[in-house]
Amino acid sequence: MSARLVGILLVLACTAVEGLAQICLKQSTRQPGRRASWIAAGVGLFVVEALLYTAALQRLEVSVAYSLGAMSFVVVALGAAWLLGEPLPVTRRLGIAFIVAGCAVLAAGG
Amino acid sequence: MSEETPSSSPIGRRVVAVLAIAIALDTLGQLLWKLAATRLPATLSPDALLHSIARDPLPLLVIGVFVLQLVNWLLVLERVDLSYAQPLTALSYVSVCLLSAWLFGERLDVHKGLGVLLVLVGVALVSAGPARRKSP
Repeated sequence: MSARLVGILLVLACTAVEGLAQICLKQSTRQPGRRASWIAAGVGLFVVEALLYTAALQRLEVSVAYSLGAMSFVVVALGAAWLLGEPLPVTRRLGIAFIVAGCAVLAAGG
Repeated sequence: MSEETPSSSPIGRRVVAVLAIAIALDTLGQLLWKLAATRLPATLSPDALLHSIARDPLPLLVIGVFVLQLVNWLLVLERVDLSYAQPLTALSYVSVCLLSAWLFGERLDVHKGLGVLLVLVGVALVSAGPARRKSP
């Protein structure tokens, strides 16, 4: 497996962790009684993500690594709809398709 | 400075301000992080990380930028839905792309331009939803 491919997979792992972390942070504003716990969970996930992303940056250009991170929007939009009940209208679904296409182009871009 | 003047837009001036700060901090954080990552050892064991940071504290500056980013981000989330706020920070893809080409000499070609354009269109569509749902 090339270093570049490993880097791409590391960024994708980051986006999954990022989605979970963001949902924890949003929960902190929705459940004031458990605010500190949700923020702590979010911060803990950010530490994991930071290590994965540092390893990714050692293998990829920052412009590629950061742009591939747009997959976190897909994770967040789907996760927020599923776990937080936020809306997922047709325009947002279409946007998800564009983001996936853009990341595919960036990943294929040698 | 006027305080809490009602805005004609559903998104207040204060929300615009915290979102702009989020984009600037995202960009700065990415560029510093790339610089720090290239200086860290290939094996990211806790021991190797601590020794490296003792010699070169740049990772601590990166952490400082992201702590500011986290505090600012909580101010954003108090005002709008997560699935609306996060996509807007995608404007930092353009700034990271241009600044990394300028500062680090990273590639800036058709593939990257097309990829970023598709991502931006996608992000605009994803962020087309309402800022905050009416409470039930």
